[in-house]
Amino acid sequence: MNRNIPSISKLNNLFLDKELKPSELFEQVYENASFTESILHAHLELFYDEGIENSKKSDERFLKGESLGKLDGIPIAIKDNINVYGYKTTCSSKMLSNYVSPYDATVIGMLKETGSTFTGKTNLDEFAMGSSTENSAYGPTKNPWNPDYVPGGSSGGSAAVVSAGSAVASLGSDTGGSIRQPASFCGVVGFKPTYGTVSRFGLIAFASSLDQIGPITNTVDDARIIFDNIQGYDPKDATSIKPEYTEPKNKKLKIGIIKELMQEGVSEDSQNEVNKVTQLLENSGHEVVETSLPLTEMALSVYYLIAPAECSANLSRFDGVRFGLREPASGSYEMMNKTRAVGFGEEVKKRILLGTYALSAGYFDEYYGRALKVRSKIISDFQKAFDDFDFLISPTTPSPAFKFGEKTENPLEMYLSDLCTIPANLAGLPAISIPTGLSNNNMPLSIQLMGKPCSDYSLLDLAESIEDMVSFNHLPKMTKGDI
Amino acid sequence: MTKDFNIDDISNLASIHLEEKEKLKLQKDLEIVLEHVDALKNIDVKDEKIDIHPLSKVLELREDESTPSLSHKDAMKNSPETKDGHFVVPPSIE
Repeated sequence: MNRNIPSISKLNNLFLDKELKPSELFEQVYENASFTESILHAHLELFYDEGIENSKKSDERFLKGESLGKLDGIPIAIKDNINVYGYKTTCSSKMLSNYVSPYDATVIGMLKETGSTFTGKTNLDEFAMGSSTENSAYGPTKNPWNPDYVPGGSSGGSAAVVSAGSAVASLGSDTGGSIRQPASFCGVVGFKPTYGTVSRFGLIAFASSLDQIGPITNTVDDARIIFDNIQGYDPKDATSIKPEYTEPKNKKLKIGIIKELMQEGVSEDSQNEVNKVTQLLENSGHEVVETSLPLTEMALSVYYLIAPAECSANLSRFDGVRFGLREPASGSYEMMNKTRAVGFGEEVKKRILLGTYALSAGYFDEYYGRALKVRSKIISDFQKAFDDFDFLISPTTPSPAFKFGEKTENPLEMYLSDLCTIPANLAGLPAISIPTGLSNNNMPLSIQLMGKPCSDYSLLDLAESIEDMVSFNHLPKMTKGDI
Repeated sequence: MTKDFNIDDISNLASIHLEEKEKLKLQKDLEIVLEHVDALKNIDVKDEKIDIHPLSKVLELREDESTPSLSHKDAMKNSPETKDGHFVVPPSIE
């Protein structure tokens, strides 16, 4: 355990030993949230009434010796693009400011079965498009380590609440790094599972061939526990898979450092963390060798054609007819044009326009078709790399967290902050970010591990052994009593 | 390549009304991105196939069985305007 809130396993032991009640933990977490929210703005909505009611039900189960498992009574925050029945799902957009979900996402139904409680819904870049939460229609979330800095994005709220202790864990979604990049900026663990292992049913779609739900947690073991409880085939998600999880052949692992993510454009700070971890891995008997995946350099370009193309199709459903905002107009076409003009923010409009262009007649082959083909080549490159290596390592982000407004003028500057995380989404790989150190200005630094598809559990095992070796035990400024 | 990018045509296709000031900023930003993605033109993709699923999985179909789903009432309740169980929209023939 490396933070001011114990790990899920330890909390479960405290509940079992009757040293702590789930309702007492919920009150503590809620108090932390009340204390930090006025500055951080990480939750968009807090679910106190239902949360305390459910945690009291957990109290009773533990009292009777009928606990539902390790997540029983654990307060978890939910990114506000995942549907929870009866609560708003705004996607941090004006478009959905009044949308109340009529159903539970599959992952929410699965978590409810475990007896976990929900703290509330967390802030994000509008429709998960961004890397800083500066694109939220409800204002940005601040970084608990220093409120002058962004928490990353798009799951910035989900990372900040775990970092600040106003939830034990959270769910985020990761399309190009939206779990791992904010986890890295906020000094917590962020895990993007293999594409298709966790159902996307009930996640408001951004780019369907890339979107993946996953946990943001204090420890790798916490991430494993949550993943274990939300993974599995779901017939409601056509891209869901029946995973057969794999283990490496040998205990002594062969790990590749991706050369293209350790060069110009990636800060010395970030590269140093990889070198530090490499040394620790070698000291433990593993083999770490530099390897080249040249097309990694094309990943950003591929992503910024595929993701906008898919988003332009997915977001066409927001037309003012069945749900969400409607602007008054005399005709249907005018109504849709006005509604989408008022309901979407600048970044969302930008990506819809880009995707519409990439899919338009005469440009499809040149842009979207070509991007899909280069994506196939990138996937082949990874497959070849995993013939030689058990896992790959890189920095999670090219630099530690940046200040608000620092990257808002030029879109490429912002997009480049996902340079190291996008390749795993394109290839559907499991990938995890774990905090490993601090920069000169006391902001968290991290490394990323990637594995072959369905190596999720062994990837988590390796991440846990690195977590133990690194012993990252720093705390952010903004925890209770230290504001 | 980017000389063909006409923001009016694209916003019309995307059904998003844009103000003049907004157009200038978006056009500039999109040209930056399109210039960057131009690098893909240099990659040989002649023999490359396209996979819909990143793990090359064949998408599974559900059993053709009726299962409980959203009720009519729940499906309508987020709509801005309904009448007699139908969605109401402004006139579509102008």
